[in-house]
Amino acid sequence: MIKTLLRERLRRSGIPAAHEEQVTAELAGHLEDLCEQFVAQGLSQAEAVQLCLKEVDDWSEFARNIQRAQRGEALMNTRIKNLWLPGCVTLATATGFLALLQHIGWQPSTVSIGGVALRLYWPWLLALPLFGAAGAYLSCLADGSRSVRMVAGLFPAAAILLLMVIVLTSSLLVEPDVYFLHHPDFLALGLFSWLFLPALALLVGTLPFLRPANPRET
Amino acid sequence: MTKERIRPKIARGSAELAILTLLDEQPLYGFEIARQIEDKSGGALHFTLASLYPMLYELEKRGWVKGHWEANQAGRDRRYYCLTPTGKKELTPLRREWRSFFQALDSLAGVGRV
Repeated sequence: MIKTLLRERLRRSGIPAAHEEQVTAELAGHLEDLCEQFVAQGLSQAEAVQLCLKEVDDWSEFARNIQRAQRGEALMNTRIKNLWLPGCVTLATATGFLALLQHIGWQPSTVSIGGVALRLYWPWLLALPLFGAAGAYLSCLADGSRSVRMVAGLFPAAAILLLMVIVLTSSLLVEPDVYFLHHPDFLALGLFSWLFLPALALLVGTLPFLRPANPRET
Repeated sequence: MTKERIRPKIARGSAELAILTLLDEQPLYGFEIARQIEDKSGGALHFTLASLYPMLYELEKRGWVKGHWEANQAGRDRRYYCLTPTGKKELTPLRREWRSFFQALDSLAGVGRV
């Protein structure tokens, strides 16, 4: 009985037929032994079977983990695949496109908002959702969790933030009386046009890939 | 005394060592591996079906353990795992790493003196 229940659950969870028989036989053997142990402890057969099936909380995830292990995917660091590679793709495409615009001599447009002038590369900002989407999609393909997909999509913004922190901190260390301390509006403008707006554009592209891949994922 | 479960991440990290150490003594099948680990760790380490088999298949894919079908004492076919020469080679540095890790924790937090 336990073997039938197990086979049914594994089949629904998508274990390939090629592996199914051997895996089912092995796991059924385990559950049979466990079931016998529970019965020996005084449980009824039905209670023991129910308790055995609780060995796995999420059968879909279990099936995926088995497949990954059998394919040897864990040998490649999961983080590299679902975070760093997609993140680097987002970063490379975003910086590459900006460099291309500057190389062809594209001039940033000056936009005045409430008397404050912002210099923006519109084509770059408009393309960022695509780059963010690419990073989040690649992370999604590599089974990245929602938070990892988001970081992969927003990777260039994180890189800009890190760069700004490094530059500002080192400026303060070298010259405590730096320009931006006296002109916080200048700093705010920089943060808005080079951090907030790009992050927002990247987020627009990333959002569609933040839906749970697995209906049980919360 | 309240029996405390070791936090899942540490348990997962030490799981490889636990499995390889057991298999270094004798070939065992999955249920026996889980049972012996739980018994020998005083219940602190607990393997479920979901946590044990992906790890066994991963170790097999790495070539550290090898599975084969064989009848157990009750005459039922079970998949026994044994340590390969590669697995034996990997076990020594793994043991050393964990020993250093616990020694470091001990000197840092006095874990062993509590």
